Amino acid sequence: MTSTAYLFAIVLTAAAVTILLRSVPFLLFREGKPLPPVIHYISKMLSPAIIALLTFYCFGGHLQERVPAEHGFGIAELSAAIVVVGLQLWKRNPLLSILAGTAVYMIFIQKIFP
Amino acid sequence: MTPAEHTVFSIRKRALASSLPVMMGYVAMGFAAGVLLTTRGETGHPVFWGILTSMTSISGTLQFLFPGWFRTGLPLTEVALLTFCINFRYAMYGFSLLGKFQDISWWKRCYLVWTLTDETYALEVASPYPAGPANSTYCLTLAMLDHLYWIIGVAAGAFAGSRLPFSGKGVEFAMTALFLVILTDQVRNRENRKPAIVGGGTALAALLVFGPEKMLIPAIILIVTIFLFFRKKWDREAAQ
Repeated sequence: MTSTAYLFAIVLTAAAVTILLRSVPFLLFREGKPLPPVIHYISKMLSPAIIALLTFYCFGGHLQERVPAEHGFGIAELSAAIVVVGLQLWKRNPLLSILAGTAVYMIFIQKIFP
Repeated sequence: MTPAEHTVFSIRKRALASSLPVMMGYVAMGFAAGVLLTTRGETGHPVFWGILTSMTSISGTLQFLFPGWFRTGLPLTEVALLTFCINFRYAMYGFSLLGKFQDISWWKRCYLVWTLTDETYALEVASPYPAGPANSTYCLTLAMLDHLYWIIGVAAGAFAGSRLPFSGKGVEFAMTALFLVILTDQVRNRENRKPAIVGGGTALAALLVFGPEKMLIPAIILIVTIFLFFRKKWDREAAQ
Protein backbone atom coordinates (compact mmCIF):
# COMPACT_ATOMS: atom_id res chain seq x y z
CA MET A 1 0.00 0.00 0.00
CA THR A 2 1.31 3.42 -0.99
CA SER A 3 2.10 5.75 1.93
CA THR A 4 -0.29 8.63 2.69
CA ALA A 5 2.45 11.22 2.13
CA TYR A 6 3.08 9.80 -1.33
CA LEU A 7 -0.65 9.87 -2.16
CA PHE A 8 -0.62 13.60 -1.31
CA ALA A 9 2.43 14.05 -3.54
CA ILE A 10 0.63 12.38 -6.48
CA VAL A 11 -2.51 14.53 -6.00
CA LEU A 12 -0.49 17.75 -5.68
CA THR A 13 1.73 16.99 -8.69
CA ALA A 14 -1.25 16.22 -10.92
CA ALA A 15 -3.14 19.31 -9.71
CA ALA A 16 -0.12 21.61 -10.13
CA VAL A 17 0.51 20.50 -13.72
CA THR A 18 -3.20 20.73 -14.60
CA ILE A 19 -3.61 24.23 -13.11
CA LEU A 20 -0.37 25.41 -14.73
CA LEU A 21 -1.65 24.27 -18.14
CA ARG A 22 -4.95 26.04 -17.60
CA SER A 23 -3.17 29.29 -16.73
CA VAL A 24 -0.71 29.30 -19.68
CA PRO A 25 -2.66 31.75 -21.88
CA PHE A 26 -3.26 34.11 -18.95
CA LEU A 27 0.40 34.07 -17.92
CA LEU A 28 2.05 34.28 -21.34
CA PHE A 29 -0.17 35.91 -23.87
CA ARG A 30 -2.10 39.09 -24.51
CA GLU A 31 -5.44 39.25 -26.22
CA GLY A 32 -5.25 39.16 -30.02
CA LYS A 33 -1.77 37.64 -30.25
CA PRO A 34 -1.92 34.46 -32.34
CA LEU A 35 -0.93 31.06 -30.99
CA PRO A 36 2.46 29.64 -32.13
CA PRO A 37 1.39 27.37 -35.03
CA VAL A 38 3.37 24.34 -33.84
CA ILE A 39 1.55 24.41 -30.46
CA HIS A 40 -1.79 24.65 -32.23
CA TYR A 41 -0.91 21.71 -34.48
CA ILE A 42 0.38 19.47 -31.65
CA SER A 43 -2.62 20.27 -29.48
CA LYS A 44 -5.03 19.34 -32.27
CA MET A 45 -3.24 16.05 -32.99
CA LEU A 46 -2.41 15.04 -29.42
CA SER A 47 -5.93 14.69 -28.00
CA PRO A 48 -7.19 11.73 -30.14
CA ALA A 49 -3.73 10.10 -30.01
CA ILE A 50 -3.59 10.20 -26.21
CA ILE A 51 -7.10 8.78 -25.89
CA ALA A 52 -6.23 5.92 -28.28
CA LEU A 53 -3.03 5.32 -26.29
CA LEU A 54 -4.90 5.23 -22.97
CA THR A 55 -7.44 2.79 -24.42
CA PHE A 56 -4.70 0.31 -25.31
CA TYR A 57 -3.01 0.95 -21.96
CA CYS A 58 -6.23 -0.04 -20.17
CA PHE A 59 -6.63 -3.21 -22.23
CA GLY A 60 -3.03 -4.12 -21.49
CA GLY A 61 -3.76 -3.73 -17.79
CA HIS A 62 -6.87 -5.96 -17.91
CA LEU A 63 -5.09 -8.69 -19.85
CA GLN A 64 -2.05 -8.65 -17.59
CA GLU A 65 -3.93 -8.52 -14.30
CA ARG A 66 -5.79 -11.82 -14.64
CA VAL A 67 -4.66 -15.25 -15.72
CA PRO A 68 -5.77 -15.82 -19.34
CA ALA A 69 -8.53 -18.30 -18.42
CA GLU A 70 -10.17 -15.74 -16.10
CA HIS A 71 -11.23 -13.58 -19.02
CA GLY A 72 -11.59 -16.30 -21.63
CA PHE A 73 -8.30 -15.30 -23.31
CA GLY A 74 -9.57 -11.78 -23.99
CA ILE A 75 -13.20 -12.66 -24.83
CA ALA A 76 -14.48 -10.69 -21.81
CA GLU A 77 -12.59 -7.52 -22.86
CA LEU A 78 -13.53 -7.87 -26.52
CA SER A 79 -17.25 -8.46 -25.82
CA ALA A 80 -17.49 -5.56 -23.37
CA ALA A 81 -15.65 -3.26 -25.82
CA ILE A 82 -18.05 -4.19 -28.64
CA VAL A 83 -21.00 -3.38 -26.38
CA VAL A 84 -19.50 0.03 -25.47
CA VAL A 85 -18.62 1.08 -29.03
CA GLY A 86 -21.85 -0.33 -30.48
CA LEU A 87 -24.06 1.43 -27.94
CA GLN A 88 -22.15 4.69 -28.32
CA LEU A 89 -22.50 4.63 -32.12
CA TRP A 90 -26.19 3.80 -31.81
CA LYS A 91 -27.48 5.82 -28.83
CA ARG A 92 -24.68 8.42 -28.27
CA ASN A 93 -25.26 8.29 -24.53
CA PRO A 94 -21.84 8.03 -22.80
CA LEU A 95 -23.21 6.99 -19.41
CA LEU A 96 -25.38 4.22 -20.88
CA SER A 97 -22.46 2.88 -22.94
CA ILE A 98 -20.08 2.89 -19.96
CA LEU A 99 -22.54 1.28 -17.52
CA ALA A 100 -23.65 -1.42 -19.97
CA GLY A 101 -20.09 -2.27 -21.03
CA THR A 102 -18.86 -2.43 -17.43
CA ALA A 103 -21.83 -4.63 -16.44
CA VAL A 104 -21.08 -7.02 -19.32
CA TYR A 105 -17.43 -7.18 -18.26
CA MET A 106 -18.32 -7.85 -14.61
CA ILE A 107 -20.77 -10.61 -15.58
CA PHE A 108 -18.11 -12.21 -17.78
CA ILE A 109 -15.33 -12.31 -15.21
CA GLN A 110 -17.56 -13.07 -12.21
CA LYS A 111 -20.02 -15.61 -13.69
CA ILE A 112 -18.82 -16.94 -17.04
CA PHE A 113 -15.08 -17.28 -16.44
CA PRO A 114 -14.90 -17.32 -12.63
CA MET B 1 -35.89 43.53 -4.03
CA THR B 2 -33.95 46.34 -5.75
CA PRO B 3 -33.35 46.17 -9.51
CA ALA B 4 -29.62 45.48 -8.98
CA GLU B 5 -30.29 42.48 -6.73
CA HIS B 6 -32.85 41.25 -9.17
CA THR B 7 -30.30 41.39 -11.94
CA VAL B 8 -27.70 39.39 -9.99
CA PHE B 9 -30.37 36.89 -9.02
CA SER B 10 -31.57 36.47 -12.60
CA ILE B 11 -27.98 36.06 -13.84
CA ARG B 12 -27.34 33.34 -11.27
CA LYS B 13 -30.60 31.65 -12.21
CA ARG B 14 -29.58 31.68 -15.85
CA ALA B 15 -26.18 30.18 -14.97
CA LEU B 16 -27.90 27.45 -12.94
CA ALA B 17 -30.19 26.62 -15.87
CA SER B 18 -27.33 26.32 -18.37
CA SER B 19 -25.31 24.20 -15.93
CA LEU B 20 -28.00 21.52 -15.52
CA PRO B 21 -26.79 19.26 -18.37
CA VAL B 22 -23.29 19.44 -16.87
CA MET B 23 -24.74 18.42 -13.51
CA MET B 24 -26.15 15.20 -14.99
CA GLY B 25 -22.84 14.37 -16.64
CA TYR B 26 -20.56 15.31 -13.74
CA VAL B 27 -22.53 13.69 -10.94
CA ALA B 28 -22.93 10.43 -12.89
CA MET B 29 -19.38 10.27 -14.24
CA GLY B 30 -17.92 11.42 -10.92
CA PHE B 31 -19.93 8.73 -9.15
CA ALA B 32 -18.41 6.02 -11.39
CA ALA B 33 -14.90 7.39 -10.77
CA GLY B 34 -15.60 7.50 -7.02
CA VAL B 35 -16.70 3.86 -6.94
CA LEU B 36 -13.50 2.96 -8.78
CA LEU B 37 -11.41 4.87 -6.24
CA THR B 38 -12.92 2.89 -3.36
CA THR B 39 -12.75 -0.53 -4.99
CA ARG B 40 -9.35 -0.08 -6.67
CA GLY B 41 -7.53 2.82 -5.06
CA GLU B 42 -6.47 1.15 -1.78
CA THR B 43 -6.40 4.50 0.04
CA GLY B 44 -7.98 3.73 3.41
CA HIS B 45 -10.27 6.80 3.44
CA PRO B 46 -11.77 6.86 -0.06
CA VAL B 47 -14.28 9.65 0.67
CA PHE B 48 -11.49 11.96 1.85
CA TRP B 49 -9.33 11.13 -1.18
CA GLY B 50 -12.35 11.42 -3.44
CA ILE B 51 -13.03 14.97 -2.26
CA LEU B 52 -9.34 15.95 -2.38
CA THR B 53 -8.69 14.58 -5.89
CA SER B 54 -11.92 15.95 -7.40
CA MET B 55 -11.54 19.36 -5.76
CA THR B 56 -7.93 19.98 -6.81
CA SER B 57 -7.57 18.71 -10.38
CA ILE B 58 -11.20 18.68 -11.62
CA SER B 59 -10.20 16.42 -14.51
CA GLY B 60 -12.27 13.42 -15.56
CA THR B 61 -9.45 11.46 -17.19
CA LEU B 62 -7.14 11.97 -14.19
CA GLN B 63 -9.94 10.98 -11.83
CA PHE B 64 -10.22 7.60 -13.53
CA LEU B 65 -6.43 7.13 -13.56
CA PHE B 66 -5.83 8.10 -9.90
CA PRO B 67 -6.87 4.69 -8.44
CA GLY B 68 -4.19 2.87 -10.46
CA TRP B 69 -1.57 5.52 -9.67
CA PHE B 70 -2.43 5.29 -5.97
CA ARG B 71 -2.24 1.50 -5.95
CA THR B 72 1.12 1.27 -7.70
CA GLY B 73 2.66 4.49 -6.32
CA LEU B 74 3.50 5.81 -9.78
CA PRO B 75 6.78 7.86 -9.85
CA LEU B 76 6.06 11.61 -9.69
CA THR B 77 7.93 12.32 -12.95
CA GLU B 78 5.50 9.99 -14.72
CA VAL B 79 2.53 11.57 -12.92
CA ALA B 80 3.70 14.98 -14.16
CA LEU B 81 4.42 13.90 -17.76
CA LEU B 82 1.17 11.94 -18.13
CA THR B 83 -0.89 14.78 -16.64
CA PHE B 84 0.86 17.19 -19.00
CA CYS B 85 -0.05 15.16 -22.09
CA ILE B 86 -3.55 14.23 -20.99
CA ASN B 87 -4.50 17.80 -20.08
CA PHE B 88 -2.42 19.64 -22.69
CA ARG B 89 -5.61 20.82 -24.38
CA TYR B 90 -6.46 22.99 -21.36
CA ALA B 91 -3.55 25.28 -22.31
CA MET B 92 -5.53 26.24 -25.43
CA TYR B 93 -8.84 27.11 -23.79
CA GLY B 94 -7.80 30.34 -22.10
CA PHE B 95 -6.94 32.03 -25.40
CA SER B 96 -10.58 32.47 -26.31
CA LEU B 97 -11.46 33.64 -22.79
CA LEU B 98 -8.76 36.32 -22.31
CA GLY B 99 -11.10 39.04 -23.52
CA LYS B 100 -14.15 37.84 -21.61
CA PHE B 101 -12.18 37.65 -18.35
CA GLN B 102 -10.15 40.87 -18.61
CA ASP B 103 -12.35 42.99 -16.30
CA ILE B 104 -12.56 40.34 -13.59
CA SER B 105 -10.42 40.83 -10.46
CA TRP B 106 -7.28 38.68 -10.36
CA TRP B 107 -8.31 36.35 -7.53
CA LYS B 108 -11.66 35.62 -9.16
CA ARG B 109 -9.81 35.03 -12.42
CA CYS B 110 -7.53 32.56 -10.60
CA TYR B 111 -10.62 30.58 -9.55
CA LEU B 112 -11.99 30.65 -13.12
CA VAL B 113 -8.65 29.35 -14.43
CA TRP B 114 -8.48 26.62 -11.77
CA THR B 115 -11.99 25.36 -12.63
CA LEU B 116 -11.59 25.48 -16.43
CA THR B 117 -12.81 22.03 -17.52
CA ASP B 118 -14.03 21.07 -21.01
CA GLU B 119 -17.67 21.58 -20.13
CA THR B 120 -17.24 24.78 -18.08
CA TYR B 121 -15.13 26.22 -20.90
CA ALA B 122 -17.85 25.45 -23.43
CA LEU B 123 -20.48 27.24 -21.30
CA GLU B 124 -18.27 30.26 -20.53
CA VAL B 125 -17.32 30.80 -24.16
CA ALA B 126 -21.03 30.78 -24.97
CA SER B 127 -21.85 33.26 -22.17
CA PRO B 128 -24.76 35.48 -23.25
CA TYR B 129 -23.26 38.54 -21.50
CA PRO B 130 -20.54 40.85 -22.88
CA ALA B 131 -17.35 41.28 -20.78
CA GLY B 132 -18.29 43.12 -17.59
CA PRO B 133 -19.90 42.58 -14.16
CA ALA B 134 -22.83 40.50 -15.49
CA ASN B 135 -20.47 38.17 -17.36
CA SER B 136 -18.28 37.91 -14.25
CA THR B 137 -21.24 36.85 -12.08
CA TYR B 138 -22.43 34.40 -14.73
CA CYS B 139 -19.03 32.73 -15.24
CA LEU B 140 -18.21 32.53 -11.53
CA THR B 141 -21.60 30.98 -10.74
CA LEU B 142 -21.12 28.43 -13.52
CA ALA B 143 -17.59 27.60 -12.35
CA MET B 144 -18.69 27.09 -8.74
CA LEU B 145 -21.70 24.95 -9.68
CA ASP B 146 -19.73 22.69 -12.03
CA HIS B 147 -16.93 22.36 -9.45
CA LEU B 148 -19.50 21.40 -6.82
CA TYR B 149 -21.27 18.84 -9.06
CA TRP B 150 -17.96 17.09 -9.73
CA ILE B 151 -16.94 16.96 -6.04
CA ILE B 152 -20.39 15.69 -4.99
CA GLY B 153 -20.38 13.00 -7.69
CA VAL B 154 -16.92 11.66 -6.80
CA ALA B 155 -17.49 11.82 -3.02
CA ALA B 156 -20.87 10.06 -3.29
CA GLY B 157 -19.36 7.37 -5.52
CA ALA B 158 -16.44 6.86 -3.14
CA PHE B 159 -18.92 6.48 -0.26
CA ALA B 160 -21.18 4.10 -2.19
CA GLY B 161 -18.22 2.04 -3.39
CA SER B 162 -17.72 0.50 0.04
CA ARG B 163 -21.41 -0.48 0.26
CA LEU B 164 -21.96 -2.21 -3.08
CA PRO B 165 -24.55 -4.99 -2.68
CA PHE B 166 -22.51 -7.17 -5.08
CA SER B 167 -18.87 -7.91 -5.86
CA GLY B 168 -17.04 -4.99 -7.47
CA LYS B 169 -14.68 -7.32 -9.33
CA GLY B 170 -14.32 -6.00 -12.87
CA VAL B 171 -15.61 -2.48 -12.17
CA GLU B 172 -12.24 -1.17 -13.40
CA PHE B 173 -13.53 -1.71 -16.94
CA ALA B 174 -15.45 1.59 -16.47
CA MET B 175 -12.21 3.46 -17.21
CA THR B 176 -11.60 1.48 -20.41
CA ALA B 177 -15.22 2.08 -21.38
CA LEU B 178 -14.82 5.83 -20.80
CA PHE B 179 -11.83 6.02 -23.15
CA LEU B 180 -13.63 3.89 -25.76
CA VAL B 181 -16.60 6.27 -25.63
CA ILE B 182 -14.40 9.36 -26.06
CA LEU B 183 -12.48 7.67 -28.88
CA THR B 184 -15.68 6.59 -30.66
CA ASP B 185 -17.00 10.15 -30.56
CA GLN B 186 -13.67 11.62 -31.68
CA VAL B 187 -13.27 9.42 -34.76
CA ARG B 188 -16.70 10.45 -36.02
CA ASN B 189 -14.80 13.60 -36.98
CA ARG B 190 -12.61 12.76 -40.00
CA GLU B 191 -9.81 15.10 -38.83
CA ASN B 192 -9.22 13.02 -35.70
CA ARG B 193 -8.80 9.69 -37.48
CA LYS B 194 -5.14 10.04 -38.46
CA PRO B 195 -3.90 11.08 -34.98
CA ALA B 196 -6.05 8.32 -33.44
CA ILE B 197 -4.46 5.72 -35.74
CA VAL B 198 -0.96 7.03 -34.96
CA GLY B 199 -1.75 6.92 -31.23
CA GLY B 200 -3.33 3.46 -31.40
CA GLY B 201 -0.59 1.96 -33.56
CA THR B 202 2.18 3.37 -31.38
CA ALA B 203 0.35 2.20 -28.27
CA LEU B 204 0.04 -1.35 -29.59
CA ALA B 205 3.75 -1.46 -30.48
CA ALA B 206 4.74 -0.02 -27.08
CA LEU B 207 2.43 -2.47 -25.30
CA LEU B 208 4.09 -5.44 -27.02
CA VAL B 209 7.64 -4.13 -26.52
CA PHE B 210 7.48 -2.58 -23.02
CA GLY B 211 4.36 -4.15 -21.43
CA PRO B 212 1.44 -2.21 -19.91
CA GLU B 213 3.38 -0.79 -16.96
CA LYS B 214 6.20 0.85 -18.89
CA MET B 215 4.52 1.65 -22.22
CA LEU B 216 3.16 5.16 -21.71
CA ILE B 217 6.27 7.34 -21.64
CA PRO B 218 8.03 5.80 -24.69
CA ALA B 219 4.72 5.81 -26.57
CA ILE B 220 4.09 9.51 -25.87
CA ILE B 221 7.62 10.46 -26.95
CA LEU B 222 7.23 8.45 -30.16
CA ILE B 223 3.78 9.93 -30.92
CA VAL B 224 4.98 13.53 -30.55
CA THR B 225 8.07 12.74 -32.66
CA ILE B 226 5.91 11.27 -35.44
CA PHE B 227 3.61 14.31 -35.37
CA LEU B 228 6.57 16.73 -35.58
CA PHE B 229 8.21 14.69 -38.34
CA PHE B 230 5.11 14.78 -40.55
CA ARG B 231 4.04 18.27 -39.52
CA LYS B 232 4.53 19.95 -42.92
CA LYS B 233 2.45 17.34 -44.70
CA TRP B 234 -0.30 16.81 -42.12
CA ASP B 235 -0.75 20.43 -41.12
CA ARG B 236 -1.25 21.38 -44.78
CA GLU B 237 -3.71 18.55 -45.31
CA ALA B 238 -5.73 19.62 -42.30
CA ALA B 239 -5.86 23.21 -43.55
CA GLN B 240 -7.40 22.17 -46.86
